[in-house]
Amino acid sequence: MIRTLIIDDEPLAAGVVEEYLTSFPQFEVLGTCHNGFQGLKTIQELKPDLIFLDVQMPKITGFEMLELVDDPPAVIFTTAFDEYAVKAFDAKAIDYLLKPFSTERFSQAIDRFLDQRSAGQSTDESETITALAEKSSRLVVRVKNEIKVIATSEVIYFEAQDDYVAIHTKDGKYLKKLTMKSLEASLSESPFVRCHRSYMVNMDQISKIEPYEKDHYILKLKNGETIPVSKSGYSRLRQVLGI
Amino acid sequence: MFSRAFSKPTTANWVIQGANLIWFLGTFLLLSFYGVETEYALADAILFTLVFFGGVTVLDRIFSFYIPKGSNNWLLLALPLVISALGILIHYYLLGFFISDTDFLQIQKSMVILRSAILWVTFTLVTLIALVVAKLELQEESQKRENMMKDLSKEAELAQLRQQLQPHFLFNSLNSINALVMSKPDKAREMVIQLSDFLRGTIRKDSHEPVTLKEELGYLQLYLDIEKVRFGHRLDADFKVEEEAENLLVPQLLIQPLLENAIKHGLYGVTDEVRIRFEAKKQGGYLEITLENPYDKEHTAQSGAGFGLSSVARRLFLLYGRKDLLSTEKLSEVFRVNLKIPQSK
Repeated sequence: MIRTLIIDDEPLAAGVVEEYLTSFPQFEVLGTCHNGFQGLKTIQELKPDLIFLDVQMPKITGFEMLELVDDPPAVIFTTAFDEYAVKAFDAKAIDYLLKPFSTERFSQAIDRFLDQRSAGQSTDESETITALAEKSSRLVVRVKNEIKVIATSEVIYFEAQDDYVAIHTKDGKYLKKLTMKSLEASLSESPFVRCHRSYMVNMDQISKIEPYEKDHYILKLKNGETIPVSKSGYSRLRQVLGI
Repeated sequence: MFSRAFSKPTTANWVIQGANLIWFLGTFLLLSFYGVETEYALADAILFTLVFFGGVTVLDRIFSFYIPKGSNNWLLLALPLVISALGILIHYYLLGFFISDTDFLQIQKSMVILRSAILWVTFTLVTLIALVVAKLELQEESQKRENMMKDLSKEAELAQLRQQLQPHFLFNSLNSINALVMSKPDKAREMVIQLSDFLRGTIRKDSHEPVTLKEELGYLQLYLDIEKVRFGHRLDADFKVEEEAENLLVPQLLIQPLLENAIKHGLYGVTDEVRIRFEAKKQGGYLEITLENPYDKEHTAQSGAGFGLSSVARRLFLLYGRKDLLSTEKLSEVFRVNLKIPQSK
């Protein structure tokens, strides 16, 4: 049996998926969730093989929810917004169904899932899903069992820590499984500068740039903290600050 | 240049003929006054008028093609000077061709400089006046054209703002119908009708005419009913409308984006039930509308929010030329929009 979960905030829309799935007896519907919070909790508890995921949902989007899942299952997106299609494939989704979709289109998605499953492609799924380049003005993190939404404008700086990025805000530090590279891509139109291989700083938080050793600089922040600046980081800073 | 100086070419003709006549009479009378023989005075005046007319025509041709600007402004003085000097020389020699009285010609010769000076001043003045008037005329015309363009683009923008239907609303509604077709065919049919009525409302031909609030409320109810099919379990709305407000006028589809906005932000901003409150009352010369949706202060909204609000604000500005008719308040758990619609008597 293939254990399946449907996550959609519109009961009727979830109903369509459930109804279409009755033609595929090898799929077992574990349940329906109506927002990302429920969805996350249910995925962690029941570990489904496949989820049907809506994008636009209360408080956090389907993409944001997916970022928080530790070992994400296979995903088929279902949404009326085709502007999300590119992102869905960045997230290595099995397929992307545009509402309303036909039973034929639905069967195609199911076939695609079954093909990939038999080919046994699931090794680096988790990495690619966190690497999705969503242009966003907010970040979603998990703190113990709670989900917190952080506005990027409230971030002082980001620090790379192994597989995680530490998000420093005035309220404290949050960890998110993410690479600096994908983070930088998702924040391209923001006040952040990659001042070091492991650091990205909010320009509004810089107090001053001081020479440290020869050819090296450090950044003094408004809250008193200091962070290192690399050579290429220094030239990026100069370029952005216009000095 | 001269034809452009007057709104109609016929007027320009009249003025030029008149000026020629005045020039002719002026010269003739002045010469007669100083004791020149009538015959000579007549010949002189006719030739002088021809020179005047010829000079004006040449200047007109030149300045029609080329209007000096900036560092070339000296041409405005130099060209009339050259033409008047030439004109006077021609005048002198032509006079000598017709008249053989050496005394008279001697007097003429001594007057060449004076005549040139008079002609020069006149040509310069004529040129300047014509240029100034032509420029004013041109400005007025371009102003008129600009206003017309503005009106046109305003009309187009208003029409576009009125009909801004979110495509996802349509697709999600169709998806709901798709769901209902099998499970509840009657409900599916009902929703098809509702959706059709709603869409018909967005493409009305008389869409620039205001409608009564009552009529608009019917439309809002239709929209709400469709949304309730999608989100019925979470969505609810309270309408409180004063009786005397019902017949006040509102621009078509002005309130709908606000309701859409309230519903959207209610539904995506919180996870609990969403209760929308709508209130309308008459206050002085205004119809005052408040619209509330639940709101989580701690929550950072997804980007792209507030488009509905800004498009309504833009429409209000285009319709009434005012920016103070739409305001928002963020209370602890409620987001409130205040809208004032001026009522002309």
